Amino acid sequence: MKFGKRIKEQIQESLPEWRDKFLRYKELKNLISSPAPAESIFVGLLNAEIEKFNAFFVEQEEDFIIHHKELQYRIQRLVEKCGDNDDVMFREEIGEIRKDIVNFHGEMVLLVNYSNINYTGLAKILKKYDKRTGGALRSPFIQKVLRQPFFKTDLVSRLVREWETTMDAMFPALTREVEGYERSAAVSSAAAGEGIFRNTVAALMTMREMRRGSSTYGAYSLPPLNLSDSDLVYGRDISLLRYLFLIDKSCSNLITREMDLS
Amino acid sequence: MEARPVQRSGSRELSNLTRTSSIPSTPNPSSAAAAEVAFMRSENNNNNTQFMSKPLGGQNYHLLASSNGGAVGHICSSSSSGFSTNLHYSSMEKHYASSSSNAAAAAALRDDSSWCSDSLHGGFLDFPENHHQASQIEDGGGIGAAFDDIQKRNDWHEWADHLITDEDPLLSTNWNDLLLETSSQSDSKKTLQVQPQPQIVQQQQPSPSVSVELRPVSTTSSNSNNGNGKARMRWTPELHEAFVEAVNSLGGSERATPKGVLKKMKVEGLTIYHVKSHLQKYRTARYRPEPSETGSSEKKLTPLEHITSLDLKGGMGITEALRLQMEVQKQLHEQLEIQRNLQLRIEEQGKYLQMMFEKQNSGLSKGTASTSDSPSKSEQEDKKISDSKDHLTPEETGKCKEPESPQPKRHKTDN
Repeated sequence: MKFGKRIKEQIQESLPEWRDKFLRYKELKNLISSPAPAESIFVGLLNAEIEKFNAFFVEQEEDFIIHHKELQYRIQRLVEKCGDNDDVMFREEIGEIRKDIVNFHGEMVLLVNYSNINYTGLAKILKKYDKRTGGALRSPFIQKVLRQPFFKTDLVSRLVREWETTMDAMFPALTREVEGYERSAAVSSAAAGEGIFRNTVAALMTMREMRRGSSTYGAYSLPPLNLSDSDLVYGRDISLLRYLFLIDKSCSNLITREMDLS
Repeated sequence: MEARPVQRSGSRELSNLTRTSSIPSTPNPSSAAAAEVAFMRSENNNNNTQFMSKPLGGQNYHLLASSNGGAVGHICSSSSSGFSTNLHYSSMEKHYASSSSNAAAAAALRDDSSWCSDSLHGGFLDFPENHHQASQIEDGGGIGAAFDDIQKRNDWHEWADHLITDEDPLLSTNWNDLLLETSSQSDSKKTLQVQPQPQIVQQQQPSPSVSVELRPVSTTSSNSNNGNGKARMRWTPELHEAFVEAVNSLGGSERATPKGVLKKMKVEGLTIYHVKSHLQKYRTARYRPEPSETGSSEKKLTPLEHITSLDLKGGMGITEALRLQMEVQKQLHEQLEIQRNLQLRIEEQGKYLQMMFEKQNSGLSKGTASTSDSPSKSEQEDKKISDSKDHLTPEETGKCKEPESPQPKRHKTDN
């Protein structure tokens, strides 16, 4: 029940517009458990799901491309306007932009995650189907899935990396800052950020669970994931370290706590 | 204070960045990863000859040059008699029912009329075409292609009835005529055209290019995402840039009309519907510059809850909170990429294994293989798989455990 539970959690944590766009894992599973799962029905359902993924993914991607450009322009304009100024307005605006960058980055990563989790779900459900019916539907079908638009996340990933680079330039070096005014600005920025943040955390934990090693290990299973301690040491923020430590140690508790907060 | 010099250098870096970022540059994936991606796309790769008209089980490919001096469209049309490689697609999607003139167009401009693998934003769907990363993936590609052929033949029978043979009017225009309208107007105001010299060059790094990927849908099938049954379009940053330029030259997003923009852009395969919907999105994005495309329908937290949630991030200031958020996102992305590569490799190996299995089977049925051979053979293959997986794990996931020793006490994971 692991994956089913995890994907359900993911969906819950995900941004509202996304919630009905995920794989209907449970329904498909139920179909399989029924006495005589008809292949044509099953395949038909899967195709419909894939269509759904493609449509959503491509549309989101288009939005991202537009937003990507707009954000670039905004930064450009800000730089032109304020140059090297250190005045308050500059700092406010740059704060806004930083927030937007991080959230934008987050959304794109979540789209990649969306693609991945749906793919994984499909792979799993196909495996189940073959197991149940003794068929050999999985392999060829998966090959087709690999060619689907929603699986081709390269562009989005590329944008993600670009913004990671940009972010390094946008954020000051790690020195203490006067953040009093920034703290108050936090309230307005929290809404979008929190949703994305929580979704991201949920996604990371799902991955961790999925990769913890499986009892039905086979040629098609993924090797275990290891968010080892060395990964945590970025040599930077101690608070980051602390937080990721929290994630590692008490995964499910964390999600529950966050859910309580809402 | 320190803040000042920091800001200054930050801004300077920033301006440098914006300057360079106007030319979309791509951090190259490592060549190994690129080769992998390329391999997986080997069926999708365009080939790099100029005018290709090559039947592939009935497929015809036409290379288009648009009048804007080189935006190239690649349209694939299949004759009604042969397979359509879109068969795969149509088998997947009734909505993508392959008409006799199905097309998946990838217009890629690197150097004028050369194809490009366009490895970054999906070229073709599923055309087992030539791949120009041949040296690296020859054998693998061969296997893959062979397997696909087998697959296709099987699929054909099963999904033949999904074929619809009416022509999509979009594609029935005489593309050959368009071929003649080459870069007489190479006045390109667009920054898209990079090198005017036609070169057949295989590139990993995409210079600005115009890419159009179409999956036209037969008008008789209903398309759930856009009810008018038109082709779905996959936009790219370069194409969008062309769009923005066109819009700006027409007086801005409010004044520009879809028709005008379409004409200006001169990208083959682009329809007014694409432009229209894109323009709509563009307008919305400009006049509601708040980030979330997903809208602000997020549940509004009260200020108290804001602070409590922020507390979760350890009560840091906003910049640190953002940084933390960024780190978590980065890590997720990294893991996703790793996982994706693994999944690809797994399937790849599965294909290989299946091929070997089938070969073996056919060998057995012909009575040529002795029984003593088969067990050792399958052992060999299993070993091969686990060996390459062993190679996989260290390089991909660091200190992962060997797959041979799954953790026994793990609660039963129902994959």
